[in-house]
Amino acid sequence: MIIESLLTGAVQSGTSVLLTVCGETVTERVGVINLGTEGCMAVGALSAYIVCANTGSPWFAVPVACIMGGLMALIHAYFVISRKANQLATGLTLMFLGLGLTAFFGRNYVSVSVTGFTRVKIPLLSDIPIIGDAIFNQDPITYLSYLICPLLCILIYKTRFGLILRGAGEDENVVFAYGHDPIKMRYIGVIMGGMLSALGGAQLSIAYTHTWIEGMTGSRGVIGVALVCIAAWNPAKAFIGAYIFGAAQALQMMLQQQGLEISSFLLMMIPYVLVLIALFITSIRRRQTMPAELKKVFESVT
Amino acid sequence: MSKLKEYLKTLPRRLGKTAAVVGAAVVLFAVFLLCQGVNPLSVYANMIASTLGTSYGIGQVLIKSTPFILIAVGTCVSAKAGLVNVGGEGQFAMGALFSVTAALFIGDSMPSFFGIVLMMLAGMIGGAFWSGLAGVFKVKANMNETLTTLIMNYIAYQIVSYFVFNQLKDPDSFNWPQTSEISESLQLPRIWGKVTIGIVIALLAAVLIWLMISKSKWGYSLRVIGGNANAALHAGINVQKVQMIAMLISGALAGFAGAIEISGVEERLRQTTGVNYGYLGFLAAWMAWNNPATAIFTAVVIGFLSVAGNVLEISSALPSSAIQILMALVLLAILWKGKEKKSA
Repeated sequence: MIIESLLTGAVQSGTSVLLTVCGETVTERVGVINLGTEGCMAVGALSAYIVCANTGSPWFAVPVACIMGGLMALIHAYFVISRKANQLATGLTLMFLGLGLTAFFGRNYVSVSVTGFTRVKIPLLSDIPIIGDAIFNQDPITYLSYLICPLLCILIYKTRFGLILRGAGEDENVVFAYGHDPIKMRYIGVIMGGMLSALGGAQLSIAYTHTWIEGMTGSRGVIGVALVCIAAWNPAKAFIGAYIFGAAQALQMMLQQQGLEISSFLLMMIPYVLVLIALFITSIRRRQTMPAELKKVFESVT
Repeated sequence: MSKLKEYLKTLPRRLGKTAAVVGAAVVLFAVFLLCQGVNPLSVYANMIASTLGTSYGIGQVLIKSTPFILIAVGTCVSAKAGLVNVGGEGQFAMGALFSVTAALFIGDSMPSFFGIVLMMLAGMIGGAFWSGLAGVFKVKANMNETLTTLIMNYIAYQIVSYFVFNQLKDPDSFNWPQTSEISESLQLPRIWGKVTIGIVIALLAAVLIWLMISKSKWGYSLRVIGGNANAALHAGINVQKVQMIAMLISGALAGFAGAIEISGVEERLRQTTGVNYGYLGFLAAWMAWNNPATAIFTAVVIGFLSVAGNVLEISSALPSSAIQILMALVLLAILWKGKEKKSA
């Protein structure tokens, strides 16, 4: 029973991170790092919430959230691709902008409640012992995330479009030589990333917690960026880190509800420490698989 | 000397361009305010009158700028070594935690001067400890310092929260999560109104760091590494050692800022002490393209905007998040403009 609710919590809490990791993976594959993911996520969470509160339709809220997140990412794309601004500084500024904008426009929605998405039980499959309920009794956005991950893998590794996309992150001259526009590919990659992060934000606000509070994304975007590195820029591995983070969050909440004698602050540290450990393990074990254009970003800081 | 001359000669032109893009951001924010049904002219007039119009306001700007200057200069040091330290937030928090612990331990047991020096040292050690960890991760395990410092910010926040809710909680605070007030003898001496010597110390530290980077042998190796780490390796520079030291200095400066904040402004540690200071300091450094001398100026600009933001909340009934939007717009404007190309 405890394990089952832990797993359910891990998926519920991890989905938003999973979508962010998938999105940021696409972004980083074209050679751009977007620390503003946190901002995209917050904008997605709030815009979904506002649409949901005003129209009552969560299905209408999802595309709106994606568009708003895509617009935030478009700002990033314009600055770092067309204006060649520093990626880390621009991303951080966007995080500020996103958190500021959502705090500003969300202040009237703090006490508004929405129905949003509810959990949909899939018959038979949800009766599988232990994992059934965790995987097959979730909200629609989570089911959507089950589809998005494999689709992204196919897109990135099996299609011509994906090949060019990856090319834009490895060597833009090659992409150019094949008659494609690396700039366009980068824009697409960054905007896709923002849209997926915003979808993650929407899951957080209208499918998981059904509330809006300022700063509710609580570093999930930042963690997402770190987890991309751990997943070795492969969407197929994105779920590992995301669900472990989700499980750590769920565990922390469960222990708190049990009234355990551990300080909640020490428990809240667990997810971050886990991410650090995971970063440590990946960096000593795997050879660098970072896209070449991305390496340049980190090497040219001065 | 010729460098300085050139710097001064091109200054008006560069300042003019910056002013133009910042002006654009200000206009954009005015449009935003208009859409919210707020008169932007009165808001801006209010912001300027309450910050630069009174000696109290100017004092507040100086007080607020102090931590930004130190954190920004710290960010510059690590950036010159080719490292992106986004951990000012956590290093500041650890500095504040270490210094407040030292202060509560010292109490009234020693003369003011020694007490304050010890407190500042504790703050620097706290900050350097936190950045040093990230430095070790970088040098020994090749972990990306941008990610580790960013994640460690959240860990530091939880550590501070833990202590202000537990061991360090003021027993007389009626369960309010904050530490006891530090002894009066450990508070930084005031030089003008509420302004303490903290701002002077910060400026001196900034100049010292600037001289160290541009004039010393160590600063030279720092710049070589930042330019091209491989070339530095071939030139026989111990890259890892220099990077480690840069990281330690960077964190020590942020921790120093934390200690000054405790000793000169807050006089106790709260959960909210210095929230966002680290990020704002980092952005001040990037606005100055990691030039410590320019970073002093950009840090003061950020300090001005922070103080103006508080005014906005009171006088125009706008939430404090409005100023966050203005700050982001100003930063985006400067990033949009890009770095001025050096004339060969």
